[in-house]
This record gives sequence, C-alpha cells and structure tokens, in this order.
Amino acid sequence: MKQRTMVISLLAVFLAGTAVLMLLAAQDTDGRQDAVWVNEAVQSVQMNWDRLENHENQTDLDYVVIDMEGAVRFRTGTGLSESINEAVIHRDTILDIHKGGTVVGKIIIYNVSPQIFGEWKRTVLLVCLAAMASQCIICIGYMIYLQKRIVQPFQKLKGFAERIAGGSLDVPLEMDRKNLFGAFTESFDIMRSELKKARLAEAKANEDKKELVARLSHDIKTPVASIKAVSEVGAALTDDEKLWDNYAQIIRKADQINTLITNLFTAALEELQQLTVTPVDMGSRELKALLDNADYLHRAEIPDIPDCMIYADKLRLQQVFDNIFANSYKYAGTEIVLSASVQKGYLAVSVEDYGGGVSEEELPHIKKKFRRGTNTEGIEGAGLGLYISDYFMQEMKGELDVQNGKKGLKAAVRICLGGVV
Amino acid sequence: MKDIVLKTDNLSKSFSSGGVMQHVLKNISLKLYRGDFTVIMGASGAGKSTLLYALSGMDTPSIGKITFGDRVISEMNQDELAIFRRDHCGFVFQQIYLMDGMSVMDNVLSAGLLVHRNKKALAARAEELFASVGISKETQKKFPAQISGGEAQRAGIVRGLINSPEILFADEPTGALNSKTGLDVLDMLTKFNEQGQSMVMVTHDMRSARRGNRILYLKDGVILGECDLGKYVHGDRARHEKLSAFLEEMGW
Amino acid sequence: MQKGIILVRSNLRKAKGQTASIVMLILLASLMLNLWLMLSMDYKQNFDRNHSRLNAEHVTLTADDDSDEMWDFLSRTNEEDGRMAEFSLTHAMHMVGSFEYHSGEINSELVFLEKETALTRPVGKIEILEDNSKYTSGIYMPVLYKSEEIAIGKQIELFVGSNKKSYTVCGFFNSLMAGSHNCSITEMILTEDQYRKLEEEGYAPKAVLCSVRIKDKAESEDYESMLKNEVSLRYPDLRMESNSYTSVFQSRYISQMICSGIISAMAFFILLIALVVIASNIINYIGENMRNLGALKAVGYRSRQLIGLLLLQFTGISLTAAMAGAGLSYCLFPYLNQMMISQTGIPYQVRFLPLPFFASLGILAGAVSLTVVSAAWRIKRIEPVTALRQGIQTHSFKRNQVPLEQTKAPLQLALALKTTLSGVKHNIIIGVTMLVLSLVVVFAGLMVENVIADISPFIQLIVGETADSCINVTAEAEEEFKRELSRDKRVEKAYLYTSLEVRHVDGVGLMATICDDFTRVNNKHGVFQGKFPKYDNEIAISAKYAGEKKLEIGNEITITANGKAADYIISGFTQTSNNLGKDCLLTRAGYERLGELQNTSYYLNLEENTDIDDFNSEIKNRFGAQVNAVINIESVIAGASSVYVSLMTVIVIVVLLLSVIVTAFVLYLLVRTMLGNKKRDYGILKALGFTTGQLILQTALSFMPAVISSTIAGIAASSVIINPLTSVFLKNIGIVECTFTVPAGYTVAAGIGIIVFAFAAACLLSIKIRKIAPRTLLTGE
Repeated sequence: MKQRTMVISLLAVFLAGTAVLMLLAAQDTDGRQDAVWVNEAVQSVQMNWDRLENHENQTDLDYVVIDMEGAVRFRTGTGLSESINEAVIHRDTILDIHKGGTVVGKIIIYNVSPQIFGEWKRTVLLVCLAAMASQCIICIGYMIYLQKRIVQPFQKLKGFAERIAGGSLDVPLEMDRKNLFGAFTESFDIMRSELKKARLAEAKANEDKKELVARLSHDIKTPVASIKAVSEVGAALTDDEKLWDNYAQIIRKADQINTLITNLFTAALEELQQLTVTPVDMGSRELKALLDNADYLHRAEIPDIPDCMIYADKLRLQQVFDNIFANSYKYAGTEIVLSASVQKGYLAVSVEDYGGGVSEEELPHIKKKFRRGTNTEGIEGAGLGLYISDYFMQEMKGELDVQNGKKGLKAAVRICLGGVV
Repeated sequence: MKDIVLKTDNLSKSFSSGGVMQHVLKNISLKLYRGDFTVIMGASGAGKSTLLYALSGMDTPSIGKITFGDRVISEMNQDELAIFRRDHCGFVFQQIYLMDGMSVMDNVLSAGLLVHRNKKALAARAEELFASVGISKETQKKFPAQISGGEAQRAGIVRGLINSPEILFADEPTGALNSKTGLDVLDMLTKFNEQGQSMVMVTHDMRSARRGNRILYLKDGVILGECDLGKYVHGDRARHEKLSAFLEEMGW
Repeated sequence: MQKGIILVRSNLRKAKGQTASIVMLILLASLMLNLWLMLSMDYKQNFDRNHSRLNAEHVTLTADDDSDEMWDFLSRTNEEDGRMAEFSLTHAMHMVGSFEYHSGEINSELVFLEKETALTRPVGKIEILEDNSKYTSGIYMPVLYKSEEIAIGKQIELFVGSNKKSYTVCGFFNSLMAGSHNCSITEMILTEDQYRKLEEEGYAPKAVLCSVRIKDKAESEDYESMLKNEVSLRYPDLRMESNSYTSVFQSRYISQMICSGIISAMAFFILLIALVVIASNIINYIGENMRNLGALKAVGYRSRQLIGLLLLQFTGISLTAAMAGAGLSYCLFPYLNQMMISQTGIPYQVRFLPLPFFASLGILAGAVSLTVVSAAWRIKRIEPVTALRQGIQTHSFKRNQVPLEQTKAPLQLALALKTTLSGVKHNIIIGVTMLVLSLVVVFAGLMVENVIADISPFIQLIVGETADSCINVTAEAEEEFKRELSRDKRVEKAYLYTSLEVRHVDGVGLMATICDDFTRVNNKHGVFQGKFPKYDNEIAISAKYAGEKKLEIGNEITITANGKAADYIISGFTQTSNNLGKDCLLTRAGYERLGELQNTSYYLNLEENTDIDDFNSEIKNRFGAQVNAVINIESVIAGASSVYVSLMTVIVIVVLLLSVIVTAFVLYLLVRTMLGNKKRDYGILKALGFTTGQLILQTALSFMPAVISSTIAGIAASSVIINPLTSVFLKNIGIVECTFTVPAGYTVAAGIGIIVFAFAAACLLSIKIRKIAPRTLLTGE
C-alpha cells in the first residue's frame, strides 16, 4: 500500500516541479516594454513640460527626462541612465519630447530586463531545489518504512520459522496485522480450519439425507400386506393345527394393524374434527373483544382484565361466553355483573346475573347432556349449551363452574394461564 | 428479607414470525433481590435471553408488568427505556459487542460519559475497574480487533459496570470464550458480586451457573423450578451436587 | 448464467429504493441531455432552414437616400463584387423609433415597408404568420413582439423619430434578418394606405433597403463592411444602418445559448450523481455478496462474467430509463420551445430528432457502463478463500484521532467526529456535493443580485454604458447645451458619449464610442484589461475583435474616418457585446484627429425621483430642432431586459430546486449506507442507553465537518470563480470577463442556509434509527 503512496507522491512532486518550470518557461521573460505606460509617460511629460518640477510619475516605469542641452530635467529615482550614451549602453528606450511641433527634450526609459531575468533565474533555482529536496525526503521516508515494515518483521518471521522447524508448535505466531506477513501467515491457518469445517459439514449433510431416505422408503402398509399374504399362503399349506393357529393369529394381527392405520386416518378424524379444541397461548387483552361480542345487549360492564397470557382456543372460548350470556338473556334477563381476576394458575372470569338462580337439586345436573331446568318451559333449547361449554373448557385445561350466587346464577369461567400446563 | 430490585407480573413475550405467533415467555412472575447473583438457565430456545432483555428494559414485554423500585418500566417508551438503561443497568454480551471503530477506553467512556459529566472522576473509575479486571494501560488504547476475546470480554465487563448499575445483566458472557478465559471472566463476575453488585446472568453452561446463588430454570418460556445455592460457599462440592440434582430434576 | 441472473434479480429487489432512484436520475439526466442536444444541435439549424426557405439575405443595408443615383450606385457596387449571389433593392422609409413592449420601451432603427412590396421581394421577403382580414389598414409587427398589449386588432403607439403615430395591429410577420431589435434593423410592415400617409407626413425619410445574398455566408461581415465603406466613401454624411448574417444569427440566439448551457450543466451534474449512486450500489453489492461472489468464483465463474452481469443489469436499466427520459423531453420541449420563441422570434416546429436522441442514449449508456466496469473491477481482486470468510479485514487500524479521555468536545460531538474520521469516502462525496451546491447557490445569488433584482450590471456587461437619459444635439448647439446642463440642478453628471463608425485599416468597420473623459463613465468595468484611453493617441478595442485580429495591448493600429487616417496605441480591451465586438473607444481629442463630430450624444445621470421623460421633453422644447433625439435609457433597458429577467428567474428557481433535491438525495444515500454499516454499533449504543434523538444528532453531526468545511470552501471558491465561469457561458457574445458583484451578505446567509439545510435533512433522513432495536443483539433466539 505504502509503495503506491510513495510512487504517487514522487510522481506528484515530479509533476508539480515540471508544471512550475513549464509555467516559468512559458512566462514572458524577454521584458518587453509596456507601450501603453511608455505612451502615458511621454504624454504626461509633454503635458507638464513647462512645470516639470511638479510632474509626478503616473506609471510604474523609471525614467529620466533631459532637455536638448543634456541637462536632467526630471528623474524618478537614482541610479538611472542620465545621458544618451549611458542609455545606449544600458539598452534603454529613448524617445523625443515634443512641444508645439518641435523636439524640446528626450525621455530615457530605464531598461529593467536584467533585473527581471535575474529574478527569473532565482525562481527557477528555488523550484528545482524544493523539488529535489522533497524527492529526497520521500525516498528517505520510504527507506525507513521498508526497514520497519519489511526487514524487521522478516527477521522476526525467520526466528519463528526456526522454532516451528524445531517442533515447538505451541508458541503462537505474534500476529501484528500491520506487517505484511502477519495477514499472510494467518490466512494459511484460516484456510486449513475452513476446509476442516467444510468437510465436517458435508459428512453431516450426507448422514441426514440417508436418514430421510430411509424414513421415506419405509412404507407402512406394504410390509404389513406382505406379512399377511405370506401368512395366508403358510396357513393354506400347513397341516399342523398349532401352526395354523399361529398363522391365523398373524393374519388377524396384520388385519388389526391395517384397520388401526385406516382408522387413524379416517374414522377417528371425522368424529373429532367437529369439535376440535386447539388451545394456544394468547394475550388476555383479547378477552375484552370476546366478551364484547358475547354481550350483544350490553347488559354488563366489561371489567379491567389482568394482563397475562392465557391458554385458550379463541373460537371455542367465544362460544362458551356466547352460551353463558345467551342463557342469562333467556332465563334471567337482568343486568349482568362481570369480574376477572388471576387465581393460582387460572384467569377467572365470573358472570353473574340477578335472575335468582336455579334450585339446589337441579344444580348438579345443569351441565349434563340434554338436561334442562324446570323453569325452561316455553323457552326453546336443546339442553346442550352448558354441556358443550363444559367440554370446551376441559379441553382448554380450564374449568366451568356454575353455582348460585347471591342474586342469581353465577358462572365462573376459569381459563388456564399460559405456561402453567 | 432481602430488598426487591425488580419484579415482574405475568410477564409474557410473543414474536410474530411469518404470520405465526411465537410465545417465548409465558406469565413469568418473578422477583429479583439486591445483591443476588441470579442465574437463568435452560436449554437453548427456552427464552432465557428474551427474559434477560425484557428484565433489563432492552425490549418491551408483550404482556405483563415489570417494576423497578417504584417505576413501571414496561410502560416506558423507547427513549425513557434508554435513559433507564443508562442509569440503572449494565450489560455484558455473549458477542461482547465492543464498537470496532473505537479504542477500548473509548468504548467504556462512550457509555460512561452518557451519565457522568465529570470526565476526571469517570476516567478514575474506569481506571480502577480496568485495574481490577487486569487490563493494562496499553491495552486500553488498542482497538477491539487487536485484543484477545478474553480481554475484550473483560473490557465489556468494565463497560457494563462503568455507571455503577443497580443490576449487571450478562448474556452468556463466556459463550464466545475458551474455557480458560471463560473461567477468568466468571471469577471476575463472582468477585464483583461479592462486592455487592446485583447480577443476572443467562447461561446454558453448568460451570457458569454454579457461580450464582439463585438458579432459575426456564423451559418453554416458563420458570420450571428454582434452586438456592446461597448457603453453600463457592468451590464446595455440595454446591455442585445440589445444582446437579436440581438440574436433573428439571430434566437437563 | 442462470444463477447469475438470479443474483442480479435479488440485487435489484434488495436495493429497490436505489434502483428506483437510479431510474429517476437517469430519466432526468436523459431528459435534460436530450433537451440540451436538441436545443444546441437543431435549434440554430432552424434559423438556416427558415433562412433558405424565405430566401433571406445575408447582408442588409438601409440608407436614407432613395434617389435613382443611389439605386444605380448600390446595384453597381453589388454587381461588381464577385461574392454576391443575388440582391434586391426596395423603396422604404427609415427612422429611429420606439414603442412600449412588456412595460418597457423598445428603441430601434425602424424600416417601414409596404405590405405587398415586403411580401414579394425576391431576396429577404417576409412571411405573414398571423393575419386577420377584418383589419385592412394598419401595421404588421415582427412576431417577437406579440404580447397581451400588442395583439391583432389593438392599437399600438409608435414613435417615429419623436412623432407619435397610432396604428391598428393587423398581424404578425417573420423576418429573419430584421425581425427583432437585436438585429439592429427592425422592419415594420404598413398597409398601402398607411404607408402612403407616412410618406406624405415625412416623419421618416425615404430610404432604400438593400438585401444581398452572398455565395459564402461566412463572409457576411466582410461583405457588410465593404458595402458600408463604399457607401460612406461616396456619401460621407449619409445616415445608414446595416447588419449581417453572422451578427444577427448570434444576437438572436443569446438566450438560447445561455439556456442550453445551463441545461447541459444540470444534465451532466445529474448524470454525475447517478453515476455516484450506481458506483455506490455496486460497491455495496460487492460488499454484501462477498460470500456469494466468492462461491461463484470457486465454482468457476470468471470475473469477467460477473462484471458482465452487473453491466447488463445497470446498462439495461439505464437504457430503458434513458429512453423514457428522452421521450419525456419531447413532452417538455413544446413549453421550452414557446419560451425560446419569445426570445428568438423565429417559429420552430417540434419534431423527432434522431441524432440527439441516440446521442443522449449513447452518452448515458457509455457513462454508465464505464462506471459499472470501473466500480465492479474489484470483483477481479476477490480471492475465493478470503471472500468465503466474508472479507474479514474490513476494519483498518488507524490512530485513535479523538480519544474520549482527552477531548474537550462533548460526548455527542466526539462520537460524531469519530464517525466522520472513519468515512473518508463519505466525506469526499459530501464535499463534492456541497461544493457543487455552493456553486449553484452562489450563481443563483449572483443572478438575483445582478439580473433579477437590478438588471443594470447585466445590461452594463452586455450593452456597455448605462445612464438615465441620452440626448443627441447638433454640434452647433453643443456649447449652449452644456451650459444649460451645468445650470440644471437635476443633472448629476453629464458626459459626451457618442458613437459613430470608423474603420480599422487592416480589418473591418468598428463602432467607435467617443467620450470626452472616460473617468466619468458609469460602467468602470467597460475596459476589463488595460485602461481606458486617456490621450489622443490611445484607443481601447473589444477583446473579441483583438482576439480575431491577434492584437495585443501596446500594439499600434491605424484607424480611418472621413478620409483621414491616424495611428493609435491600444491601451485596453473592452468586452461589450454591442455590435458583437466590433467596437472601440476613443477620446474626443483622439477622434478629432480624424474629423469633427457632426452631432453629439450626451449621457446624463439625473437626480433621483426626476421624471426622465419630462426632463427629456423639457430639453427638447428648449432646444427645438437642435435636439436630434432623446432616449429614456431606463425604460429602454426595462423593455429589453424583461425577458432576460423572467428567463433568469425561471433558471434560478429550477437550478436551486434541482440542487436541493439532488443534495437531499445524496444525503439520503449516505445516511442509508451509514445506517446499514453501523447498524450493529447503533444497536450497541442503544443498549448502552443512547436515545434515538442522541443517535440521530450524532449521525447528523458526523456529516457536519465535511458539510461545513466544503460549504465554506465552496462558497469562498465559488465567489471567486463564479465570474470567470459565467463569462465562459457568455463568451460567444463577446464577454471575456464578467464583473458581477457577488452579494456578500446573501452569500454568507446562503452558506449558513445550506449548512442548516444539510443538517436538518440529515436529521430527518436518519429518523430510521428509531427502528433499530437493541433486541437485534439477542443471541440466536
């Protein structure tokens, strides 16, 4: 990585140096005279000829004004050429000063190209020096870097390799990830462990597959059928009665297995499907909606239900409450009092009306099949409601308890709490 | 009678995955006591970590109530929970979870500075904790990827304790470590517990569980049983046997 | 391959948002690109199409002399020149005129033609675009001026010289070479009765309109100057006006050029963003699918195949989107076209242009493929073994730049800084985006300040000098006029500023502007390099002309006029777009070396709240016939500039809106990537007790160092380079160096605004942090 940095910075220094030198080369260094300023100087001197002592230099040129006798009339500074001859030697610009159509003097504009050239030389020198110095610094830096990052770790690694060769595998390799070899040695180790892991995983996958195939290929009925067939052949061929009995026994049992399997898949299912109760864990908050649905005449005030998880079949529980509320509507027709509480392992919901209840002797039979109370004449019903509700609650590991309360019949629905069973 | 630090009532947690509700915790009612080293054990999938995260306010329960002192944390919103966590809870994770982009020291301070404004006092506390878990000055300046798993987990413990939490929650703190460094970490936790630090640790490793004085066994989201090891000293053979018997009873 | 296609599909599905944004960006880029190409490739050709359809002239000249002698002279001059292909001469009337347009005033050289004559000229005929047989007596106007006030059946008040005339507008016509005040000659077509009436009234002198088609249209300017020279040599004091194909062509398409320049800049900007998105998508994709890619390589896929798949995916998407975008541009083009027509005044029929269409598709597909290939190149470097380990060395061990122990910064800031310092690539992207955004904002500010709020800087740049009023008096009345002005307290400043034609001996005719003292002019930037002429042997010429003739400051050129010649040193360069650069400045003393001024125009700055029209008419009454013309410069500018103002307003709004959207979008991508990369860290921090608000603040803050520094750098740099940059846009109209003032207060406010905007946007976009739950740290349950 650092190598690239080094190459890039060297290139950058080189390019920067080249660019600066090119710029310098492209610059105008011939020190051409600025004609506009010269014109400005000439014109302003001409305008001020009579009062040259008040004349001010409007330009950034240096110049000397002399009259026809060679006397200096004006100078912008010292050290300038002050006679025509000096001016010629110094390659200065000499122009006439006109006044009313005649030449009255000369203006000598100082030649500054030597200074410009000198400055230019100095700049080039500086740029070259700076470029060489920075190249030097980069090279030295890179050498130090190489020494630290490659030579020294390499010596360390040499020692390590000797130890490995000597058989001392317990000594861990100091993994300095910054050095170039650290990652290199590490990857060997990683590769080995990855391969090993992969091989183990493959073996396990094969095992699983075999098991699955074995299970699938295991037909249930075919072997039973062949047992039966073989036994029947055996029974037909044998004369020994005891043996025949044994064959008969095998045939009977095989038939039994067959029937059992068939039963399992057909008959048993049919009957159960009608009234399956499949309780699951659910939040007690859902009870509120159930009670709301059941109490469609709004005779009860739904109480706060303790927050917990209950174990119930939502559909069946709804049917239980529907039944209880329907009974109350039918037989009592009064206000209903609802309450809910958590009691050791159950969420108990009690539903009580003001209908006076049932007689004590009828109470034990109230949950039985096709049994109806004495006060039910003229009211339709089959006497199945509480029987089924009781069955549902039992299936949900809960209880349905019907008793006479203070004012009327009190049904306590105890729903099993989740996690208790 | 010990102080109750944290109490749950019918705590339940459900996740919906692919339209099917999964009930991970069911009606857990539980009290945690000050100074206890409570260990939650159970097979994987029993809901141990879920319980831990619900207890520590990292996650909100679906049903039920969690009370910390007189504050009901099950009713807090996310930001209130965050402030609750920073003030009262410390965490040690199985995957350690140090932030890769920060040095070990900065990992600790980033948690500490959330609560404490006084940088000097905080740095002193961090220094003290680092010293007690045996992490050198030099290691403090390293980045997580440059240190060993054991060192990282010890740094994790320092981070968990920097704000002097009421409870330190540890989620399988030795799960990602080899047995030797695991033991070191457990020793450290035991030491802090003996200094009075309340702790709750989740593990499915008996060796770790032995360190607790109260073992809760979780199965299918329900606390199946509880075992008190408080009366036996550490290293006592009886402690081990009692735990073994308990776990056998639980069907471990 | 099958597996590869599945991979591509899953990549697309996973990065739905990004794919959608790529589609959107490419769509926009293609739309703009196609618009730009249509504007720049076909719009100008439309001029040529119309030009040849109407057999229009390449050189137009009108001279205020309708005598047979003049006709003979012009015919002879044209026939003698080998470059001429065809020409026609027509009787006309010519006078300076003005009328109200868009609540401003149009002031131009009007040439009146009789309807039948205009329609039947063999060269340079007009075409009537709208007509109504109900109106048989009135005027037909160039279609450019069609507006609510100027409509068929309505009355228009027209000043011919200083005489007010009222005409019924009968219809509109299209004239390529004289259909706009930008052409220097504006034709007005009168019905026969009105023409006769005007002729009788004598408000406008009779003139001849000479239209010439030449063989090579590139020589139109030379031909124009030849013709003018010949005429002015023969008739030195004759008033005349002329134009050429090149100058008209350029001046009628200034706004179109600006507009297409801006559209192209936007197009490439959006394309750039799209490419960044694509590159980041690919880099993310490679990062996320390191394992898959490693597995594919292990199975035996070659890198080239994998890169090919990505190429197929992105180029496919881009081409589809680009096609849709190009299609969409045809829905937008009519609106743009309408806007452009109101600028050029030349009808344009929208039609399908295959070349721009395929060119924009090609540009987009090429750029996208190049990006995909260069971004996907790293697939080559994936080693199967390393890749299968999910590229474990993702984190480099750098120095801890912000140790929390020592830093003075508050925790949030310190953590944000850590993030900033670890994401160099992010910082660069932010930096570039904010730099561009600052440039756009500064540009908008510049335009608001210099064009929309107060157009005079823009006008000064384009036209040169502005003042409140311009009054032209005869030379005899000049002394008296000056005395009067110096007495009048309402006059703050008055200076000679008169233009007339001179000729550069080695070149063409130049419009010389003569001033008695250039230190007094209002537009001090008129000479942008060197200095204004000060002495009688100095001249300033336009930089454009100097460039054409390879003249430098300090060179001496010879100028002739009135049969005399004199040498001048070039003291500086001007950059006005007047006369498309055929322009020079002379001092009065300098001009007087060639001849005397016949009449003099004075520019006046009046005290504020002075009614310029009242003042002008007062002066006119006072001096009567000695005043040749008065111009209310302010209202002329208002008229000429209203279209520029509305165009600029639209451009500024669109440019600002687009850049805000793009910036928000880039931030969105960055925040998304950051949330993806730092999900685990955010989870840990949340577990430790950081609130969502704190994390959002942290994320937003982490962008701020790059945002703030690049905005400051961007605003500063833009303020410096915006003028040169704008001048690149305006180069074609002779502007070399823009001298708009950059509004400092606004720029600073805008910089702060950008920073606040970026911060707010970053906060808003990182609101997703809310969804990161510490629960994700749960162990495998």
